Amino acid sequence: MIKNFLEIENVTFKAGDKSKVNNLSLSIENEGDIICLLGPSGIGKTTILRSIAGLEKIESGKISLKDKIISSKDIHIDPEKRNISLSFQDNCLFPHYNVIQNIEFGAARNKKKSKNLSVDEVISFLHLDHVKNKFPHEISSGEAQRASLARSLLSKPDLLLLDEPLSNVDQSFKEEIQVKLKKILTELKITTIIVTHDSYEAFYLGSKCGIILDGQLKQYDDPYNVYHFPNSVEVVNFLNRGILIPAKVTGESSLENDDLGTIKGNFIKHYPKGSDVQLLLQPEDLEHDDKSNLKLEVVDRKFRGTNFIYTLKTLSNLLIPVFVHSHHIHQHEVDEKFGIKRPIVIDHIVCF
Amino acid sequence: MFFKKINIWYVSSFLISLIVAVPIVTVFSSFFENTGNYSYILKNTFLYEYILNSLLLLLGVLFLSFIIGVGSAYIVSFYKFPGVNFFKWALILSFAVPAYIYAYSLTAFFENFGTAFSILKNLFGEGNYNSSIPKFDGMLGAIISISFSLFGYVYVLTRASFHYQSQNLIELGKNLGFSRKKSFFKIILPSARPAIVAGLSLVAMETLSDFGSVSFFGISTLTTGIYNAWISFDDLVLANRLSFFLLIFIFGLFILENLSRKKAQYHSLTKSGSKSKSVINLSGYKSFLAFTFCFIVFFISFLFPVLQMLYWTIIFPKHFIDLNIIELLINTILLVFLSSIVLIFFAFISNYGNRVSKSKLLEALTTFSISGYAIPGVILAVAFITFISWFDNNFMKYFEIYAFKSIFIGSILGLVLVYFIRFYSLASNGIKSGYLKINYSIDESSYLLGYSKLKTFTNIHIPYLKNSILLIGILISIEIIKELPITLIMRPFNFETFATTAYIFASQDLLEAAAAPSLFLIIIASIFILVTSRYILKD
Repeated sequence: MIKNFLEIENVTFKAGDKSKVNNLSLSIENEGDIICLLGPSGIGKTTILRSIAGLEKIESGKISLKDKIISSKDIHIDPEKRNISLSFQDNCLFPHYNVIQNIEFGAARNKKKSKNLSVDEVISFLHLDHVKNKFPHEISSGEAQRASLARSLLSKPDLLLLDEPLSNVDQSFKEEIQVKLKKILTELKITTIIVTHDSYEAFYLGSKCGIILDGQLKQYDDPYNVYHFPNSVEVVNFLNRGILIPAKVTGESSLENDDLGTIKGNFIKHYPKGSDVQLLLQPEDLEHDDKSNLKLEVVDRKFRGTNFIYTLKTLSNLLIPVFVHSHHIHQHEVDEKFGIKRPIVIDHIVCF
Repeated sequence: MFFKKINIWYVSSFLISLIVAVPIVTVFSSFFENTGNYSYILKNTFLYEYILNSLLLLLGVLFLSFIIGVGSAYIVSFYKFPGVNFFKWALILSFAVPAYIYAYSLTAFFENFGTAFSILKNLFGEGNYNSSIPKFDGMLGAIISISFSLFGYVYVLTRASFHYQSQNLIELGKNLGFSRKKSFFKIILPSARPAIVAGLSLVAMETLSDFGSVSFFGISTLTTGIYNAWISFDDLVLANRLSFFLLIFIFGLFILENLSRKKAQYHSLTKSGSKSKSVINLSGYKSFLAFTFCFIVFFISFLFPVLQMLYWTIIFPKHFIDLNIIELLINTILLVFLSSIVLIFFAFISNYGNRVSKSKLLEALTTFSISGYAIPGVILAVAFITFISWFDNNFMKYFEIYAFKSIFIGSILGLVLVYFIRFYSLASNGIKSGYLKINYSIDESSYLLGYSKLKTFTNIHIPYLKNSILLIGILISIEIIKELPITLIMRPFNFETFATTAYIFASQDLLEAAAAPSLFLIIIASIFILVTSRYILKD
């Protein structure tokens, strides 16, 4: 009986002379689970993947895959013996082989494995048909990235590590590939760790997301919780999907802000009455209402296709984002007044 | 901890460094030994002459090489005129003509009753032409011979720098209102300076190492001094002391060349994001002048010695018939083949070791190992013999092993070992630059696909580097075919190559007999150069 499919226990990851990520612990419970690691550039996400793959040694702690220690202070299994595949962010195709030969390099491994996935199938879903006979220097970086992904998928690894797998892929293909990639990984039960800086990609692909900030894993939870219940100010700031405004706790389910007035809802964490807190206000927390007497000035309006995000300025110069459906009957221009529905009710109140 | 790290990479890199260290240590240790009486005479009479002549030769060659090399590189890079594409590669054929063969041709053509005399006689009938034909011998002859044989280094590196020079840079000059002349002196030339300095440093090192042409023209330089101290006075310690002086000069140049080369690489990075260079179409007399300049350089550097040697081979067929071409060819091929295999094999081990172990010590050993190319062949050979004799006297005789000396001196093994020291940088740098093109993450991708280090080497590295290996093999071959002093000193008794045969005839004043082996040498080297010209011009 396998405890956890992958177990990372108190590992300090190091790249070069600089210690990057300290005492990281996380686990992937089941085979076929997909998790995503999010964090700013240069924080050490790639180092984590490289260390799991065996390309870097770890400082302390241990990494076990299927109950077998693959890295610890004293044990280091060579990368070629781990059956872990890493798809690099940059083009790492073998320059003297064409795309199909490169992909077949991956297929040559684990031929007997039951996970059935044909070369043609992968080439088709990753839109590589038109470049399959070309050499790496003849294709675009996005195509090279997809070819590298195809090679990794076909190697049928126990654990697949994807480092910014779609960062160079055209926006037009991106969503389609995300959908198909998730489908294939789920169907074939390929356990995967994806590193990305795109939170939407992480929220879609991962069943769990880890946020790495300041050399530490700050939060490791399912995407909904990471978004709606960030556990620290740093995570809020990193996700950048809301702002923190000052407020005073006025009751079991209410608080007061100088500009917005009374805000009601369910506290995630208990705060004593009279406490000064920072309230997380996300774009979907406030509702637009033209008839409301709470009017704020529009300073910016972003059209996002399905919605608008209005940025409103309060009397105390706070900038608040508000989500409005793009089919809303009329639009508000910059400098116009914008009504906020009162009373303000937020389903879950997150404060710090 | 250190001993845990010792593996095949350390052992082989250490072995290579040890072999390269032998001549350097031998030369330096000569200062702690007594020399024969000749050293006293030399110190008070000839040493300054050696140094002065070496410096004079150096300055003359540098000046001429700069003018020819930079001038021709500029013309073929920035202008379009009839024949420009031909001259781009034809100018590197000068590499096929060693300076000593150039010296033979120069003398053969201009000497009294030489080829020039015959031409004038055939054109204008009998006459006293000898007095009006200029004589290019002595120092002037050596400067011309060496310059036309070596200017290719300056040409190739400067042309590459011009080639990769960004068009944006040139357009910047136009925007600043610079004239074409001002752009050349303010922008084009300064930005190519590291490449020019690198080229001139190579020319300088080769000039100071030159033995064949200076000895032919009877100029006393440090190189001929070393050879004479050993051959004529049988004073190995003195030869090594002279080598010490020469090495000081050369190491200075070696450092300069290395620093310049690093800077010279910056220019090749402007490929992406910059426009392709626009060349100026020349017409009328300007086109004629550009063509004439390039043709004269090509004619003097290549056609002239080839035609001179061909002419003598034809009019003195007896020497050609007497020449045992098959034997010379087999000997040359044997040396080329053995040396290339050994050099490439060890260069691979060392570079692959560096790649997989990422050890700073290994990298330092490799850097040291390539310093052999800076040491003149004469010094290497003499120092190697000194070391083997010392080792034999102090160790082997103690164990009553008497054959040791003959294994290394006057043997193919000894010859290949000294070639190894001299040309290891060529092989190592070639493999290294091939490896630099393979991103390390390519290796990592291979490991992650389940391929071991050995399989990565055989399935990824070898197929990718096969062109580099071929190129390095050919470059080594060109150098070995032309090499003279090492072959002359280290070769087994009665073992001749085209180079040694030509030298022996020339040193006996039988220039007409030296023509045929010289011609064969040039033809073989030219074929190799033509095969690799695309790569030579690229990098």
